[in-house]
Amino acid sequence: MILELKNIDKSFGEKEVLRGVTFSAEGGKAFGLLGRNGAGKTTTIRILMNVFPANGGEVLIDGKPIDYNRIGIGYLPEERGLYPKKLIIDQLTYFAELKGMSKKDAVKSIDYWLDRLAMTEYRNKRLDTLSKGNQQKIQLITALAHDPDIVILDEPFSGLDPVNAMLLKDVVKEQIAKGKIVLFSSHQMSYIEEFCDSIAILNAGKVAISGDLHDIKRNYPRDRLVVRAEDPAPIMEELKDACSLNEKGELLIKLTSAGEKRAMMARLAANFDFDEIRVFEPSLNDIFVEYAGNAPQGE
Amino acid sequence: MKQFGKIFKFELKYYLKNKIFVGITLFLVIVMGLVMFLPRIADAIGTGDGEVAIERPVLLVKPDVPENADVVKQIFTESFTDYEVQVTTDDDAVIKESILAEKAECAFVMSSPTSFKYYVNNLSLYDMNTEIATAVLQQIYQINAMIGGGMTPEQATDVMNISITSEVESLGKDQAENFFYTYIMIFALYMVILLYGQMVATNVATEKSSRAMELLVTSARPTAMMFGKVLSSCLAGFMQLVVIFGSSVLFYNINEEYWGDIMIINSIFNIPTELLVYMLIFFALGFLVYAFMFGAVGSTASKLEDINTSVMPVTLLFVAGFMVVIFSMSSGDIDNTLMTVCSYIPFTSPMAMFTRIAMSSVAWYEIAISIGILVASTVGIGALAAKIYRMGILLYGTPPKIGTILKLAFTKQ
Repeated sequence: MILELKNIDKSFGEKEVLRGVTFSAEGGKAFGLLGRNGAGKTTTIRILMNVFPANGGEVLIDGKPIDYNRIGIGYLPEERGLYPKKLIIDQLTYFAELKGMSKKDAVKSIDYWLDRLAMTEYRNKRLDTLSKGNQQKIQLITALAHDPDIVILDEPFSGLDPVNAMLLKDVVKEQIAKGKIVLFSSHQMSYIEEFCDSIAILNAGKVAISGDLHDIKRNYPRDRLVVRAEDPAPIMEELKDACSLNEKGELLIKLTSAGEKRAMMARLAANFDFDEIRVFEPSLNDIFVEYAGNAPQGE
Repeated sequence: MKQFGKIFKFELKYYLKNKIFVGITLFLVIVMGLVMFLPRIADAIGTGDGEVAIERPVLLVKPDVPENADVVKQIFTESFTDYEVQVTTDDDAVIKESILAEKAECAFVMSSPTSFKYYVNNLSLYDMNTEIATAVLQQIYQINAMIGGGMTPEQATDVMNISITSEVESLGKDQAENFFYTYIMIFALYMVILLYGQMVATNVATEKSSRAMELLVTSARPTAMMFGKVLSSCLAGFMQLVVIFGSSVLFYNINEEYWGDIMIINSIFNIPTELLVYMLIFFALGFLVYAFMFGAVGSTASKLEDINTSVMPVTLLFVAGFMVVIFSMSSGDIDNTLMTVCSYIPFTSPMAMFTRIAMSSVAWYEIAISIGILVASTVGIGALAAKIYRMGILLYGTPPKIGTILKLAFTKQ
């Protein structure tokens, strides 16, 4: 199954929020939808979920307009919240029924998920008696109980302790293994790098870059070297403006072109003492900062 | 439609499981029960240990001349049956002291057969004693004058006590009889609409502030959410009214023989069926009009604290309508121009037209037009409210102004 968003435009009054947003996500893989606050991620998700229509463009599944009666979508919103005063089983059943499940199937599935997430003991308790992390696990059940085809997780790991984060990772991997489209939105780049094969970075309502994460990294110009040395001062003195220190205390040397790489390596090896030298490959964080970083924000 | 059913059921369950809702309903049923059983209880206590002596307040009378003491006492005793009349010859100062010391409730000091001074500690708004005393003294004076003119005392008394027979036949409605039940029904309508309207608005704002809306909005159509909430609160309100009034009727029927001939009670429990049907129609439509508005306005508030400010215009509109109706009822002029106009405006017609039907004679076509406008408005307001709701639930921050809300509703998404 392939989900495609093609040329999605959306305005609220005079304000253009999305401009020609296009990306595609495949079943059995996780997709990272990234962007700074106000870049248009939530609006994109809401259009995908049919909360409101787009002004232009289309949402396709396997090349055909999405049929919301057939394709189930599970959503874990960034702004967490359920009914604090209601019983957990009541509200979980309510949401599963709203997603089209029969009461019997809903209860069966919810009981499975409560057990899977080690939450069975809270089944008949009120939500506001639970800790924040446990409330989040309950909220996750609302996204998964109806066995959706597309799972959208907005900042799924925020507020979880390492044990629960590990549990959630396993659950996400299971969903991916089941062939579902898992759409991540997060600012925690390490999780995106761990799970997502493809990404799209939104910047002021436009897709700044999208595609396979490995390809993006590989296509990055290989015109920088990273040097780890006990005393980087002599190298810095020699290369002056062409080099700088990164946050790890390593030297980042900017070359005039990728072809200069071998010559520079040889020059450094001949003249200076260092522990390691390698071609710079950007982390997702570097890519994010470069593509999502400087445009005016606001949704 | 399926989603509407689920939401309707979920919301109705919320009311029926709500301890405050159940508590208030039970409390009112118990209060009505106590009131309805009161005469039976009083009767049981009264026949238990023989007659309970009722202590009556003392009324002092100082005649103009001591010779009239007996006559004055007799006539005052006949006229002031609620008092124990005592004749006194004390000074005014002593009489005043007695009243201040609460030995007597009031006193009449006569300076001549046609003039008196009335002393009372706190003059009640409803104190009619001086009027009664004036009438009594006038009667004594007139009888004395007739006797002086040659009539026998019997003839004079007969002339004064001549009784006139009369019969009133109201060809339309008897306002005196209808007043109480109309008042009760209008008041019930007022309370239920305000209470439940506020509950709908709070309910929506709670979902927004707890962010349950974030999930809800992606799980259900906003129209299903809006109509599910409003109609479930309408049914809950109606059920509450039925339970309270139903139990009152039941308790009344159990105790009917003990109530005797009290006009207010009889009129309340003998409401014509036709009027109950109208009550049902105007209750349902009026409730929906306001609940839709409360729901829409509630959707624009991000925090519960904003609710009171947000719903203020809707509440004021409703209270204004209620005031017009209540003042018109009190004035007795039910069909005044304002009431006539109000009985066609959908925001006021549920109360105004219902009152006119109950207390005056309204042509069938006037009722039909009023209900027609109300039905059309309910549909229109429902559709508009759903549009506002759809946009409102996604808005966070400072609640928008009415102009902005309406603009939102008409903006194409």
